Amino acid sequence: MSRTAAIGWAAGVAALAVLPFAVRNVFLLHVVILVFMWTVLGAAWNVLGGFAGQVSFGHAALFGIGAYTTIILFLKAGVAPWWGILAGGVAAAVGSVPVGLICFRLRGPYFSLATLAVAELAKLVALNWEWLTNGPVGFLITTLPPLSLFGHPVDWEAKAPFYALAALLMLVALGSTAWLSRSRLGAFLVAIREDEDAAEAVGIDTVRAKVLTLALSGFLAGLGGGFYAFYFRYVDPDAVLNIGLSMEMVFIAMVGGLGTVAGPFIGAVFLTTIGEAVREHFQVGHLIFYGLFMMIVIRFLPEGIWGRARLAWARGRTGARRHGAA
Amino acid sequence: MALLECEGLTRLFGGLRAVGSLSFEVGAGEIVGLIGPNGAGKTTVFNLITGFLRPSSGSIRLDGREIAGLKPHEVTRRGVARTFQIVKPFPGLSVRENVTLAAFLRHRSRGDAESEADGVLDRVGLAHRADARAGELTLMDQKRLEMAKALATAPRVLLLDEPMGGLNPSEVDVASAIVLKVRQAGVTVVLVEHVMKAIMRISDRVVVMHHGEKIAEGPPASAVRDPAVIAAYFGHRAA
Repeated sequence: MSRTAAIGWAAGVAALAVLPFAVRNVFLLHVVILVFMWTVLGAAWNVLGGFAGQVSFGHAALFGIGAYTTIILFLKAGVAPWWGILAGGVAAAVGSVPVGLICFRLRGPYFSLATLAVAELAKLVALNWEWLTNGPVGFLITTLPPLSLFGHPVDWEAKAPFYALAALLMLVALGSTAWLSRSRLGAFLVAIREDEDAAEAVGIDTVRAKVLTLALSGFLAGLGGGFYAFYFRYVDPDAVLNIGLSMEMVFIAMVGGLGTVAGPFIGAVFLTTIGEAVREHFQVGHLIFYGLFMMIVIRFLPEGIWGRARLAWARGRTGARRHGAA
Repeated sequence: MALLECEGLTRLFGGLRAVGSLSFEVGAGEIVGLIGPNGAGKTTVFNLITGFLRPSSGSIRLDGREIAGLKPHEVTRRGVARTFQIVKPFPGLSVRENVTLAAFLRHRSRGDAESEADGVLDRVGLAHRADARAGELTLMDQKRLEMAKALATAPRVLLLDEPMGGLNPSEVDVASAIVLKVRQAGVTVVLVEHVMKAIMRISDRVVVMHHGEKIAEGPPASAVRDPAVIAAYFGHRAA
């Protein structure tokens, strides 16, 4: 790891530890928790869409699998939701493998359309498989199980425990992205994004690399879904298998910067705060402002906010080096 | 025994027989030219050998082991690398990164793969452009990069699809010298090429194709005098 990156990580973790003591406002803390959750989801989409260049419109299905797994395990089998989140991640990862093996036979826009169809299928299954999913009624958690940490009972009505959990999940998501960006697999994904035939020609098993990445992506999206179920305590097909969720993940990764480690966090900060802020002020039509923001970013910052910042930083450094040599 | 053998290789596209019962052998250490008029099926043969297309029938053996029907990356792993007629670099990456990706096939660590890549870049004369973006190279340098990527997978057989297409005469000489150097390093070469000057000079043997079939085979000087070859290129009156 480079020194700058190490300093960045250390500063980030320190800020996470201090923040809940600095922010006393409950609504603000709620927004921060949402930012963390969306960072996890944006990172999930980013490993597949940003690194491997495989644009999925179906990540809501993976999110939904995570959410349903967590809530069903809790309500029907009594598995505590904090373990349920992990189970949700694993379930989404496992579920993504057959989806990948089928959809990765297609390339480009055909792949994207296939993932869209998978998400719609998942929603139809959830609506109609009432024995398992309660159909359109969904599930509601009325009381969360008691838990003691370091001798103190955890207060599930407060924001603090969810803040800590969301921060932890975010570190897992960004940490695994950082690992990926340095790994051989990460290098293979970039090759696949650049030219899939050329990647095969130099001996890269492109299907295997893409399926592995989709599994990682599914695991992260499943964690995000599990957290959603735990935090909002309510799951139904409209809430967790909505096409809007898939789109939101795409937007966050794009606005932040495709194929970067910190991009999803930056994207989540901007989009979640803008989304919540305009929802406050304009009851009707707040999505117009959201759309306007998206258009501005796509027009003027196609490499994303963090992507552009990194470019400027790199350019500044080479400029300084040239200046130093002269 | 030949290193690479194709036997009864056939590929149909609907009603079109792009390659029909083609058989030829390539011995270890040879440079074999695969020539023929446009549309003869030469690139299709490369796509069949390297797994980008499945043969309709026939067999392809590397060192006696069947490789027909394997996926492209498996063929590369067995030791058959290729270049593309229309070059396929990873355009957004640097030249060194391009070649390092190929070197990952035989090296697990990034450091080893990078030093392997630097060695290969030196061999093809591209070391001075190692930090340039692959998409910004001149055509000659893109052809060098294409060859460097293939060589970095440590192939036993290298298939070159028109490595000299679009190059000027002095660049053709440079490219020919690189191919000879590659053979000297122990790599067997099969090349599809239209630049006859290069084919005549560097190949030990040529296989001439027309309408998907082999019409002649032998040393380049005698093959080009074969009446069937002259007829294929210039029409029957010329023969």
